[in-house]
Amino acid sequence: MNAMTGLVLRILLFISLYAFLGVAVWLLWKSVTGARLRGGTIAIPILTLATTIDSEQIIQSYTSSDVLIGRNPDCDLVLVDETVSGRHGRLTYHLNQWWYEDLKSTNGSWLDDLKIEEPIVVKDNDSIYCGDAVLKIYIKPLK
Amino acid sequence: MLLMVCITLFLYTAALALANGTRLHSETLLISAEYFIPFIAWLVGTLVVQRNIRRKLPNRDPWILPTAAGLAGLGMLTIWRLSPELGLKQSAWFLLGCGLFLIALNITDLIKILKTYKYVWLLLGLILIGLTFIIGVNPTGSGQRLWLRIFDFYIQPSEPLKLLLIIYLAAFFADQIRPNVSWLSSVFPTLVVVGFAGLLLIAQRDLGTASLFIILYVLMLTVTTQRRRLLWVIPALAFLAGTIGYFAFDVIKTRVDIWLNPWLDTSGNAWQLAQAQIAIASGGLIGTGPGLGSPQFVPVAVSDFIFTTIGEELGLLGTSAVLLLLLVLVIRGINIALSSKTTFGRYLAFGISAYFALQSIFIIGGNLGLLPLTGVTLPFLSYGGSSLITNILAVLLLLRISTETSPEDIPEKVRSPYRWVTAIIAGSFMLIAVWNGYLAFPNQEELIARAENPRWAVYDRYSPRGEIYALSGEKLVEVHGTSGSYELWVNEPQLSNTLGYAHPAYGQSGLQSSQYALLRGYAGVPWEIRRQHELLYNQPPAGLDIKLAINMALQNKADELLGDHKGAIVLSNAQTGEIYAIASHPSFDANTMSEIWESLMQRTDAPLLNRATQGSYPLGTLASTLAYGSLIQSNHAFDLGSSQDLFRLDPYCYRAMQNENASLNAFQFGCESVAEEILGVTDPTLLQADLEAFGLFSAPDLAIETAQPSPALTVEQLDQNPLLVMDITVSPLQMAMVAAAITNDGVRPEPALVNSYLTPEGDWQALGPGKTVTAVYTPSLAAEIQADLRSSTQTIWYQTGHALINQKEPLTWYIGGTTPEWSATPLAIAIAIEEDASDLALTIGNTLLNLSATN
Repeated sequence: MNAMTGLVLRILLFISLYAFLGVAVWLLWKSVTGARLRGGTIAIPILTLATTIDSEQIIQSYTSSDVLIGRNPDCDLVLVDETVSGRHGRLTYHLNQWWYEDLKSTNGSWLDDLKIEEPIVVKDNDSIYCGDAVLKIYIKPLK
Repeated sequence: MLLMVCITLFLYTAALALANGTRLHSETLLISAEYFIPFIAWLVGTLVVQRNIRRKLPNRDPWILPTAAGLAGLGMLTIWRLSPELGLKQSAWFLLGCGLFLIALNITDLIKILKTYKYVWLLLGLILIGLTFIIGVNPTGSGQRLWLRIFDFYIQPSEPLKLLLIIYLAAFFADQIRPNVSWLSSVFPTLVVVGFAGLLLIAQRDLGTASLFIILYVLMLTVTTQRRRLLWVIPALAFLAGTIGYFAFDVIKTRVDIWLNPWLDTSGNAWQLAQAQIAIASGGLIGTGPGLGSPQFVPVAVSDFIFTTIGEELGLLGTSAVLLLLLVLVIRGINIALSSKTTFGRYLAFGISAYFALQSIFIIGGNLGLLPLTGVTLPFLSYGGSSLITNILAVLLLLRISTETSPEDIPEKVRSPYRWVTAIIAGSFMLIAVWNGYLAFPNQEELIARAENPRWAVYDRYSPRGEIYALSGEKLVEVHGTSGSYELWVNEPQLSNTLGYAHPAYGQSGLQSSQYALLRGYAGVPWEIRRQHELLYNQPPAGLDIKLAINMALQNKADELLGDHKGAIVLSNAQTGEIYAIASHPSFDANTMSEIWESLMQRTDAPLLNRATQGSYPLGTLASTLAYGSLIQSNHAFDLGSSQDLFRLDPYCYRAMQNENASLNAFQFGCESVAEEILGVTDPTLLQADLEAFGLFSAPDLAIETAQPSPALTVEQLDQNPLLVMDITVSPLQMAMVAAAITNDGVRPEPALVNSYLTPEGDWQALGPGKTVTAVYTPSLAAEIQADLRSSTQTIWYQTGHALINQKEPLTWYIGGTTPEWSATPLAIAIAIEEDASDLALTIGNTLLNLSATN
């Protein structure tokens, strides 16, 4: 009596266990493949930054989604200027926009004459002032 | 989702509750209701948590709670099954964990607090670990002191420390504007912290957790700095640390040694690992059934080795399910990380997921022998309050992070290291599952058959072994009791050497070991019945009875005559080789194994040795009998009648002759000078062939263990030194077969101890028909030898001999048999007595051979 009931319970146990796992794995798989179908990787409009430091013109283009600006050599755009902080600001691409964020720099960052406190969206042809340095922004629109 | 988990766990509970009745073959439904205690505790805890998070975290990830709760429930029930006491504690810990979960759920900006006060958490963790140095204890009383005692509860600070360290690392990396591998800004401060924590743990000999930290740290560094190459640091570090540790720490050396070869030292350090693999093998594909296996044979099955319990009782299907549940949890966790709005949330979710994954890989890999064993817990499943509560709180953090998602996709560069880590984790889980499958299938038979597997003792308690009978139906071994308490009882304890014992602690010997398949119901029972019993009860069917060739009248007489003398007697049918009596003294009483084992082990006279079959005695002057045939064959003139004057009488044979006071035949009484003379003039080629045919260099084919045969002598060796024959070691059984060959017209039978077995249909099925016989001599040659050795008064022939065991202890031989005038079954006998007792040997031999005429 016990043995037969036990065996039936064991079979049901495996069925319900694997039913749960089946659904879980199937949904997980769908979410993985779904992400791939949506593209997985997102296209980033190429960002070009132009500035003049000590009458030397610097123009750099970036394909990454994250560009760090400052005086430190580990920054993506190194601005050798005393009014620029070590890590002055960063440009990041998310929500289909390029955003500029001030990293609590000593002299602050300005978009035209607006002091940048919160991350803001930048557009093609905008100019950002990092201390005394002027950063001209060019964004190549996506096809 | 949660409903399916509830149903699954309910079924598991119900199956466990039925198990005891199943084992006892109960006719009525017998339910062990106590299994519903952990189930109800789990149900209450989980449902309360579920109700609360439904309200407070409506956008949470839907998979985390069901999988984590499912694992925790499975753990609680399995722990209860192994130890109700610890099961109860674990249930209490679970409810406490749920309570803490609810409290923490109410702190809405929990994540922010964690991030802001990261150094506080870190310090707290380190202080807790530090405390174990001062007031640390070990609940078992000895071993690593990794616990803190608070009233009657023990907490293991390294468990919360893991989570606290992850929180610290996540917060630190999230504060970095751009974490990179620059030495000063990110690696150095964290390395100091991780290194310090690691050192504390290494000082505590908690090397598992220490290595876990280091790997976790490298993984977090990899995803935060987005450098995939850093992953290579892990194998490099592991190798380096392993090599250094191997030579610096004894603990690591032992662990690595037993990992590399678990079967070398299974009685000592590797016992646990060997038992773990056997448990997994016992489970096979579908397992023995919940509550029906014997997972308690694996030491600390409740905590470190809980995976093997699941492997035994739920099989590969069960362990694969556990691995999948863990993997679902980990992958969902990493998904939460990827869709997290904040970097802190991302790193924290990743850290927690990696922590679950690493712990699982470490301990399951260790359990199965894939990795050196580290004493970390299996998340949610292992017994341990600190670990369970830490895991529950980690789940809360994951759930909370999962509610704060960012709608945007993240760039491939950021995502890539997460993908790699996920792939490595999934690959490791897959590897574990495959190895688990290998242990459970191709390796299954081999592992189950290992001597270290004690499961047969459990089977014996619940399903009766076969009984053993003598030829005329006397019961030699009986089974007493009912299912759950079956016990073997030996009615003829003087035969314990041959019958053997089957003791849970000391293993099996003799017929109990060699006839295990029949007695245990594996052989002779139809396959489908065996399968049915295994499937339903995880027990073999009732064993089959066997009948021996032993004649109790002769056996009792042999035992009586041998008395307290050390030695052995084998009396057999000269034609068929059936053994009518087999005595080995000193013997022991197999019924009292538990009481006498210690003293048996200390005795120097080897009572456990079956001298009749396993004794290895030098042939001594009996060599003359074996050489005599070849001497006659080569037509060498050798007149025994006149030889008596030529040969010196040594004290042994002289005394034997005196006692017999009949013919003064120096050959019959094994005088050394005769043996040397005969050996000296024999043709070595003929002699070698005869020794071979007598079976002196091969082990007899017997149902019980026999002595290792002597290495064969070559013709060249015999040519150089024919006296080497006297040093050949033989067992009394082999000599009985030599005597049988001389008695039985020169044809040597193979010995036979087991006569038949009782089939499930109730018929006695004869065993071993058609055993090979070897022709040693022609009938006329055998008759000629018999004639020279025959007794002057009785219809028997015999010869005595003597030798020195290890060149110092005296040994007396007697072999003999019936002559053709004998009217009944032809008989052959061999006696070995470990003293100088030719008179005793002659008395025993002649008495037994004569007694046989009337039996």
